[in-house]
Amino acid sequence: MIPSSEIETELLAFLRRDIFAPETQLDGETDLVAAGFDSMSLVKTLLHVETNYGKWIPESEITNEALASIRALAATVARVLNEK
Amino acid sequence: MNLTELLENSARRWPQKTAFVEEASEISYAALVEKSVVFTQQLQSLQLPSGSRVGLSFPNSVSYVALTFALWNVNAVVVPIPTECPPEELSEIAATMELAAILSHKPLPGSEPLLPDLFLARLKPATTPDNHGLNIAFIRFTSGTTNARKGVVLCHETVRDRVLAANQAFQITENDTVVWCLPMAHHFLITIVLYLSAGATVVLARHVTAKPFLEAVNRWHGTVLYAAPFHFSLLARDHSAAQMDSVRLAVSTTCALPQDVSAEFFKRFGKPLVPALGIIELGLVAFNAEDPRGRWNSVGKPLADFRVEILSPDENGIGEVAVAGPGICDAYAAPWQARKQILRDGWFITGDLGRLDADGFLFLISRKTAVINLAGRKVFPEEIEAVLNRHPSIRESRVFGRLHPHLGEVVEAEIVLSAENASTENLSHFCREHLAAFKIPTRFHVVPALPRTPATGKIRRVAAVA
Repeated sequence: MIPSSEIETELLAFLRRDIFAPETQLDGETDLVAAGFDSMSLVKTLLHVETNYGKWIPESEITNEALASIRALAATVARVLNEK
Repeated sequence: MNLTELLENSARRWPQKTAFVEEASEISYAALVEKSVVFTQQLQSLQLPSGSRVGLSFPNSVSYVALTFALWNVNAVVVPIPTECPPEELSEIAATMELAAILSHKPLPGSEPLLPDLFLARLKPATTPDNHGLNIAFIRFTSGTTNARKGVVLCHETVRDRVLAANQAFQITENDTVVWCLPMAHHFLITIVLYLSAGATVVLARHVTAKPFLEAVNRWHGTVLYAAPFHFSLLARDHSAAQMDSVRLAVSTTCALPQDVSAEFFKRFGKPLVPALGIIELGLVAFNAEDPRGRWNSVGKPLADFRVEILSPDENGIGEVAVAGPGICDAYAAPWQARKQILRDGWFITGDLGRLDADGFLFLISRKTAVINLAGRKVFPEEIEAVLNRHPSIRESRVFGRLHPHLGEVVEAEIVLSAENASTENLSHFCREHLAAFKIPTRFHVVPALPRTPATGKIRRVAAVA
């Protein structure tokens, strides 16, 4: 089991580094789409999760709710990773 | 001619018709022309010599479109630059393309504000660009189908010919509403310019998930979708009850359409995904509206004015795809190569391997070249290798694409270390400083040596591996 909080910390570091401009303020509550997360950002994020955790997050999981905040995205990733 | 005429014609015919929907507000054709006039006045005050090449680094927006037409108004050459370009790549593009200036939505080093959210960096190209007497509208360098970044040169007349040819297939009219989500920096001519010349409405959909996209389609009665398989895959897996009854045409482009996406999209919405083949050197070449379900993996028959030939086909009929038709690019910019030099006896050799079936449908099998296609973004192995080879721990490297079930291909690298115990720890960090994030290899494989061709000793290139 990988805890969602651990994934959130890791995702935040990734998003700060590879997706958003350095001046963007990000925390667990940040609404990704409002912050400028576009479809290429999504591709990069899904690829990052796959490379890091070995599992592709299915497109059916990419809902408004999953992108409502970084915390929600981390919870989605954790749920998919921890599924048997 | 000048492509601005296409927009002006539409504005004369349909002044009050909505050209764009952006953030739920509607911009009429007349207002779009006005916006472009304001930008034109700003640009005129800069007194850029006619034929100056100007970089445009802007996200999808009405401003992006108005700026492009404003640049054409002052006879400048538009060079789109994706906003994700890191500074190093930007400088390299500016130098290779001999840019006189870059217009951007964010401040760049040495830039000055022209208007709110519009910045201009004046550059002094080391050499004055020679446009060889051509009436150039556009130079695109990001998605060539050959290995190097050459800069595909397109004249105003060439773009017009492309738009006319492509619209014989799309049949876009003033009654169409296109819901748009692809980056304009990569897709603009046989799309946005075509839609505007036909008097259609373009809805800029910013959201990445299925729900808001579907809401936009239904709110604005979208009739045409033009997107990558990845976008259609998100839509196909939407769980809601929303349909898209108003849509008459959904075009899948940028990379091969996976069978499951094609099938699930049809199951979910009752609409076929129509694969299309666009090549930056050629425009829209083929389009499969005729049998998108039966031959879901075919890009269709060549458009009326195009001819496709398979060169030296093997026993299965597979060979390199050659194309002839209208709107072939006028030149490569760096180094300059005129159209005559690019073509072989009037044919453009695509670098794709494919076959034609008995009915004339074109199937693309794989590529001869090593260009990597990551969800529609072209990645040149040489560019990434040049960065990797500068790392002190790396003696040499080979970058290649690995097939990926959801993204087409992803980037991987083989590296030969400079010393047995050389550290590769900060390799990703090093790449991040020099490359856009999507170009960074997802895996590094340490190998003792790279495969080379026996004759020339060059690194052996491969198309994507499984």
